[in-house]
Amino acid sequence: MTSAARLRTAALPALAAVLVSGVLAVQLANGGGRYSPLRPANSCLAAPVSSVSTGIDGLTEELVLTGLAAAACQIGVSREAFALQLAQPGTRTDAQINALRAGLLTAVDSLKAAGKLPRASQLAREAVDASNLSGLRKAAIRAIPDALIDKTLTTDDVLRRTINDLDLRALLANLSDRQKLTTQVDTAVTKAVMERLADDLH
Amino acid sequence: MRRAAAALLALTVGCVLADSAVVTLALPEILERLHTTVGQVAWVLIAFNLVLAVVARPAAWFYKGRDPAVLCAAGIAVFAGASALCAVAGSLDVLVAARSVQAVGGAFAVIGCLQLLVDELTERRGMAWWIAAGVFGTAVGPVAGGLLTDAFSWRSIFIVQVPIAVLAVPAALAKRRRSGQGLADETQEHLTQEHLTEERDAEERDTQEHHAPKHRVRIRPNIALALLSAALTAALFLFVLLLVDGWRRSPAVAAVTVSVIPLAALLARPLTRTLRSGPMAQTTSGCLLIAGGLTGLALLPSADLAWTIAPQALVGLGLGLTLDPLTLQAMDGRTPLFRHGGWTIAARHAGVVLGLAILTPVFTADLRSAQPPAEDAITALVLNAPLAPQDKITIARGLADQLKQDSGRVPDLDPAFQQLSVPAAEKPAVAQLERDLNLQLQRAATHAFRNAFLIGAALALVALLSLIPLRRGGVR
Repeated sequence: MTSAARLRTAALPALAAVLVSGVLAVQLANGGGRYSPLRPANSCLAAPVSSVSTGIDGLTEELVLTGLAAAACQIGVSREAFALQLAQPGTRTDAQINALRAGLLTAVDSLKAAGKLPRASQLAREAVDASNLSGLRKAAIRAIPDALIDKTLTTDDVLRRTINDLDLRALLANLSDRQKLTTQVDTAVTKAVMERLADDLH
Repeated sequence: MRRAAAALLALTVGCVLADSAVVTLALPEILERLHTTVGQVAWVLIAFNLVLAVVARPAAWFYKGRDPAVLCAAGIAVFAGASALCAVAGSLDVLVAARSVQAVGGAFAVIGCLQLLVDELTERRGMAWWIAAGVFGTAVGPVAGGLLTDAFSWRSIFIVQVPIAVLAVPAALAKRRRSGQGLADETQEHLTQEHLTEERDAEERDTQEHHAPKHRVRIRPNIALALLSAALTAALFLFVLLLVDGWRRSPAVAAVTVSVIPLAALLARPLTRTLRSGPMAQTTSGCLLIAGGLTGLALLPSADLAWTIAPQALVGLGLGLTLDPLTLQAMDGRTPLFRHGGWTIAARHAGVVLGLAILTPVFTADLRSAQPPAEDAITALVLNAPLAPQDKITIARGLADQLKQDSGRVPDLDPAFQQLSVPAAEKPAVAQLERDLNLQLQRAATHAFRNAFLIGAALALVALLSLIPLRRGGVR
């Protein structure tokens, strides 16, 4: 075989190799091979959370997001995987409920440390307004001055009492019903406020 | 007139072989209209290829000692009738049965067309027309199917085949009048000296065929054809599935996108002429290009259609460089020709079935495994979205319902957002969330198809390896 013939024989495979290498190199240089879904963050590493809502709604959201991550960390899964577990229909296990409660309590500490908790009077008034208490009881609580509430109560204490008292299974079942969910949370907050005030009075 | 008849016969070959992948882009619509499952709808594709692979060789045996024009015309008529039945099928069972009958008719039509084209032209030119028509049909099938589905419906794919086949029946039978026992008067009048010479050549060929030793089938090119067809299934079947089901592109957009493959295949011939490459250089390069193109499809940097052009062009160029010379290698100088043509058809369609059998479970399993990471990514985006908590919960509920409804497929998230009522201030954030979620689904789908494309690339490399002994020993 002459050198010209050899060259002709090798030209097309060489061109093919160059084309393939070129295409693959450009693709890899532009992220080819790494185009896959986002990986969930490590639930044990604190990530900043925020909410577009204000008042109890905003606080609840930040508590839930931080609490979910803390609970997920405790049982060794991602925050997203734990949220999906809780969203599954059917009964939740005691382990899941206990982890969620512990996570929410941890979240209270985190938000307190970050200075994100509102004053107790703000929390109490909003909860009382939205609760299903009788008009007389609502008026009685509204009559208490903010300064006295803030002196008597601390927000983290009210939240801890609320979380410990909340029926989390019922809360998860009410997720799709805004009215029921709000009433359940506000009633629990109001109850915690009342109990704390009652403790102090005694 | 002879050219027109030859063109019609070649068009029939292209039509039958295009049917191998023509319905790929129509499968999602068939799935919806005939209320079936993903696993069952795949049989619209599998049944045709499987029956064609099984029947092609026995069909070639049938031609022995019989008038090819009659059998070919009968095959084309059966193909046309079955196409019409496919077009009006009201259930998946009827459609799959009609597709099987279509493949039986198609097998007889393709083998007969080879013989008639060789008789009509010369052996070399007839084979070249037949091979080119097959390559053209294979490459153009998904494009044509996608455009027809988008413009009309999946049924139109089969409707357009009927007139083509109906016109080809008299074209096939006309050949019978010329080469049969009694030639028609008007045909005799128009026979030129050239025709008479060709008639003598044909008679000599017939005589030689009766006395010539039957050549054994060439194993290596047929194996390479089967492996390459299996590999090309990844490009012609899985890639369009990724476009339509994974990236939610319309069949028309998908059809235009995959038109890169036939366009690149057209470049193969000028390229080989310019470089004056031999068959071995062509097939080696072609296998390498198909493997490289499929690897490129496995390593896409995003779901932007522009990124698919170069890998598809590699696959198309590879297709143009391999199918033609490999089919020629399997048939050239072999007698009886229709028997060896039958082997190439059987090898190619067995390869398609092999590809579907290997790749479908891989990508469906990968699609299932892609679901948890995709759900995690979707959950993270919903949890972090700048929306009111209750709106997040409503979106999450809608998404969960959609994921449940589209179980086993890449879900369509649009319905979850269409019914959502949010304040005007939140609408931009909702729109952004929808875009981000769809991006995650595209990422998950692209990732899920990766292994199947890589396996396709490996099949192309195995095809290349199967040709290496040929190089050492030379083409026999």
